[in-house]
Amino acid sequence: MFPSPALVRRRLLIWSLLCILALVILTAQMHSPDGRRIGWLGTAVEAVLAPPAVALARVSGVFTGAWGFITEIGTLRTANQRLTGEVARLREENARLRPDAQENARLRALLGFKQQLPYRSLAARVVGRDPSQWFSTVLVDRGASEGVQRDDPVITSDGVVGHVVEAVGSAARVLLVADPRSAVSVVLDRSREVGVAVGQGQTLLKVTYLSRDADVRPGDLVLTSGLGPIYPRGLPVGTVVSVSRTTMFQEAVIRPTSDLGHLEDVLIVLRGGAR
Amino acid sequence: MRFLVYAILAAAGTVLQTAWLTYLPLGGGIADPLLPIIMTVGLLHGSEEGAVVGAGIGLLHDVMSGSPLGLGMAAGVCVGFAAGLGERSLSFESAWLPALGGAMLTVLGAAVSMTAAHLVGLAQAPFADAVRAVLGSACYNGVIAVPIFHGLRRLDAAAVGLYERSRA
Repeated sequence: MFPSPALVRRRLLIWSLLCILALVILTAQMHSPDGRRIGWLGTAVEAVLAPPAVALARVSGVFTGAWGFITEIGTLRTANQRLTGEVARLREENARLRPDAQENARLRALLGFKQQLPYRSLAARVVGRDPSQWFSTVLVDRGASEGVQRDDPVITSDGVVGHVVEAVGSAARVLLVADPRSAVSVVLDRSREVGVAVGQGQTLLKVTYLSRDADVRPGDLVLTSGLGPIYPRGLPVGTVVSVSRTTMFQEAVIRPTSDLGHLEDVLIVLRGGAR
Repeated sequence: MRFLVYAILAAAGTVLQTAWLTYLPLGGGIADPLLPIIMTVGLLHGSEEGAVVGAGIGLLHDVMSGSPLGLGMAAGVCVGFAAGLGERSLSFESAWLPALGGAMLTVLGAAVSMTAAHLVGLAQAPFADAVRAVLGSACYNGVIAVPIFHGLRRLDAAAVGLYERSRA
């Protein structure tokens, strides 16, 4: 019934060796940029598995729609009654606003954010999220075959999202600014104070290394400084929520301008300079 | 033969988790179909095989999830090894075995993963948030572990039978 002492020793030896191997790999990762380097074998595995993940994600709209229907069925009856009343009001409002909306759509198309950028960029759809909960990466449906490279910045019209850490054929993995491995050189728009915005694995970021006597206030806009190797200057990163002092510096907690929790469409800024 | 089946299932589970299951959180937790696979291998074939298969599947999870390589591997090794400790002492016919095992091993895997992350200095989410997410995942995994355990057990028996017939 019970295993022999020799068998127990062998099992513990194998377990210990595998644990040590995992820690060695993990420690080696921490010395690489972005805390992650998967090597040629990992890239090959990702290249094989990313296309089916992208294909599955393309039909996930139907799947998540059905899931949402099932989970919200209890509230549908009440919502239906409320919405019927609102439909009449909105019809009238819609007729009144339609000319304004059409004008707005034309102007938006004309002045689209993509056109404003002085860099070449590529629109991409978010097709997968990091399931690990503690780290923040997303998978997008554009990859090396479209010219996407490691370290390409990824943005939305609201501001910085992150940067590409892996690009395979038709997909790329983006490390979000909220990830603990992310660090972005930033400048406060009002006081021109320079700092580093680091992710904390949650919604808010922290700007460190602000000088102790700098004028930092809640509501201040934080932009990329252009001092780092990845992000061009002037892109919005977040707004200051609170400020605290350490012995040598000030630290500010900022809320990202981009809604990192609900990313759907992003722009990848392609390296290769201005268009 | 068996290991080919595990590899195919692990790849399919990884793709499913990345593309779909992350969009269906329950109480902040996300279902992990790979954990019940590791648990089943450990329970059926012992600690050694559980740890080795857990290491491979954990590494695959790390590659596809964007986590630092080694975190999922460490968790997989410990989950597979722990499941293997019940190889001869637990009744596989018990309806509660896969559900309870899936939930408990989820907590173990998360604890190992968080400890390893702390060891290398990676910042983590606040403890209360982490506990909530892990408990959500544990419930989720407890539910999905039941069909995965019974399905994989049958598949495993068929693969072993096929191998033995080919040798006879």
